[in-house]
Amino acid sequence: MLCLGLLARAEDRVSWEITPRVTAPGQPFRLQIMVESDVVLGGAQFISREIKPPRGMALRLSGQLIRPGSNEATFNFSGVAPEQNGEHVIPSFTLRFTRKAVVVPEIRLRVSDQVAYRRETQARAELVLPDRVFYVGELIRGAIRMRGGEDEAVVASYGLESLAEGFSMTVTAERQAMPDALGQGLQTTFDLTPLREGEGEFSLNGIMLVQSGESGVFSQNGRDRPFAFRRRLTVAHVPERGRPPEWNGAIGRFVAEGLQVSKDNPEVGEPIRLRAILTGEGNLDRILPPELRGDETWDVLPANERRRRAEDQRMFVYTLVPRLPGRLRTPAVRLAAFDPATKTFSKLEFAPLEITVTGNAPAQVDLVTADPAAPAATTLKPVTGLAAPQPGRSPGLFAGSPQGTLGDAAGFWSANAVALGLVVVATAVTGVLGYLAAHPEIRRRRRARAVMRAALAEAAACQDRRDAHGFAVAVVRGLQAGVAARLAAEEQAMTQSDVERVLPGADRARLDRLFLRAHADRFAPAGPRGADDGAAEDLALLRQLLSLS
Amino acid sequence: MRCFALLCFGWLAALGAAEAPASAETAYARGDYARAVELWSEEILADGATAGRLAALGNAEWRLGRKGRAVLCWERALLIDPRDPVALAGLRHGLDVGGVDRPKPTAAEEYAAFLTADLWLLLAVGSFWTAVLCVAVPRLRGRAAGEVNQWTRVGALTVLALSVPGLWGGRSLDARAVVRRPETSLRLTPTRDGEPLRGVAEGDVVRTERMLNGHVRVRTADGKTGWVRAGEIEGVRGPGLPADLDQKAAP
Repeated sequence: MLCLGLLARAEDRVSWEITPRVTAPGQPFRLQIMVESDVVLGGAQFISREIKPPRGMALRLSGQLIRPGSNEATFNFSGVAPEQNGEHVIPSFTLRFTRKAVVVPEIRLRVSDQVAYRRETQARAELVLPDRVFYVGELIRGAIRMRGGEDEAVVASYGLESLAEGFSMTVTAERQAMPDALGQGLQTTFDLTPLREGEGEFSLNGIMLVQSGESGVFSQNGRDRPFAFRRRLTVAHVPERGRPPEWNGAIGRFVAEGLQVSKDNPEVGEPIRLRAILTGEGNLDRILPPELRGDETWDVLPANERRRRAEDQRMFVYTLVPRLPGRLRTPAVRLAAFDPATKTFSKLEFAPLEITVTGNAPAQVDLVTADPAAPAATTLKPVTGLAAPQPGRSPGLFAGSPQGTLGDAAGFWSANAVALGLVVVATAVTGVLGYLAAHPEIRRRRRARAVMRAALAEAAACQDRRDAHGFAVAVVRGLQAGVAARLAAEEQAMTQSDVERVLPGADRARLDRLFLRAHADRFAPAGPRGADDGAAEDLALLRQLLSLS
Repeated sequence: MRCFALLCFGWLAALGAAEAPASAETAYARGDYARAVELWSEEILADGATAGRLAALGNAEWRLGRKGRAVLCWERALLIDPRDPVALAGLRHGLDVGGVDRPKPTAAEEYAAFLTADLWLLLAVGSFWTAVLCVAVPRLRGRAAGEVNQWTRVGALTVLALSVPGLWGGRSLDARAVVRRPETSLRLTPTRDGEPLRGVAEGDVVRTERMLNGHVRVRTADGKTGWVRAGEIEGVRGPGLPADLDQKAAP
């Protein structure tokens, strides 16, 4: 019994519960899985990866409860029941814990339309996709509408995953508010393009966040609700029967808006741009530009084209070059489109524009008008044609160079500038010297100023050493030099009277004493020499003369 | 100074140019234009570019249908000798029946085409120095300018004034280029994706303005402006032979 008891404890106990037990098609439900083991379980891993809900059922892990050190675990899943009645089985799967893997047996969900359930009360997701045969290269516009219910509102969505075998899928707009006519909700639109013929599986799943003010199992605030769609799509090639030769891969319903030209009255040979604007619903991106061929009136050149996606427009651009003058019609732009709804081809043609081309054709043949009265050969046609080569012809004395001019030669301009500078300097020096030669008083006065400054310095020195004679000699020499420069005379010949002429306010008695003291020793032995009381006045006189010079 | 010496040498070489070997002319005469191009190109590389050789090369290139190279050869021949009859005839032929456009020369350009750019420059520099020396020498000598000096001075200043428009026109003639690529678009902006405004044909002569981002702003013969890639045109001023656009740049 003890062994049986031990063996019994060694088994894992797994139980599950679906609420409600029987659901209506498309009704949300909750799945709870409870695990009890004989060992501490630890953390669970890869739960969402292990569980594989059946076709049409959306299921998402919404929470798990595993206490540390506990041997019990609880997992909660949110789900939406499939649309088909009957029993739907979630296959057995394994819950992987840190210390143990526990096998969960099959889970069965019963769906019955006998269950009272109003879809309008709760939020739900719908896949909008045409239910028909698709064609390779077609642009299929699809959408996921996440519509709010009477009791719930869709506030967000995330985690959109898709699997499209043989299709190219592009999400064009995510989580856009739905049009008012469809009620509250969000929608995500996508473009789907079949890439190959055959049947392909297309699945989409994701999660929307719903909100409700009520309390309850399914109407708590901010709940996640998964959605999952799976469709088998049939793809065929556009039928060859009845396919026009100008069909360039256009599938959809299109309108030829019209043609535009960059210039209404170009000249012959002047390129203009022709734009053909195509609008409508369909695979605008995949249409090959219709081929335009040049003719005797137009040259057609390749040009870049632009697409305005926001306006659902395709613009085919051509560069046209008119060959002839006159009123010309632009080349016809034709294409064919296949309508997948009616499974018929339709032809589109852009109405040609009339362009007035001016100028003359380069190779236009001159029309001869015969006027018997006109004198013959009144107008001479220009003589054209290549002349016979003369490779040995000498051009004359000065031939140019194709590579560069003389002015490009290094040093040409600098040498000229240096030479010009030298000439200017020489001319300036010569002019200055000539001016000085013409005005000798400038040099004389400059020399006199120098002598007077030296005399002042020497007089000051003599005054310091109390040499009255030396003082007088220095001042007199300065006065003579200054006065001689003013009177244009010799310095040695200047007397007290000359000083008075230049300095009318000078004291004559002081000048006499000064000159006598300076020159007395020429005529008799010098008397006793001492300091002169008027030295300052003598120096002031010399300074006055210096300032006049 | 080295360039100056080379230019002088070029003049002397042109003066003493011997008769061209007959092989290229013979090839041209019998319609073997490719051979004629080859021989004249070799001559230009070996003996230097003369107006006659470039004009003859232009003729041969034109016969081969290479309009861009032909027009460039003729334009360069006219830079050497503005009155070269072969180059003038070739350009006239290209303009009249060859579908080539060339900007109508301005008054200054027509005036400048009377002499070569070098000769205009020599005239201007010579007259300038004559006038300067006429002013400076009497001053340096300390003597009054004599009557001869006065007349010389007036004459030099007159020549200087007359050579100024020639220099201006020569500068304008230099700012031209020849479209070398057969399918060249005049673009609205100087970028790789610049919107093509219109096409310019190979051999068209355009006036060049400024460079930006590897593009040159040009003005066509009919006054339309736009940008072309620098590699799609070749300046009229350049080495004697047209550039080989198919040659890949050295790594």
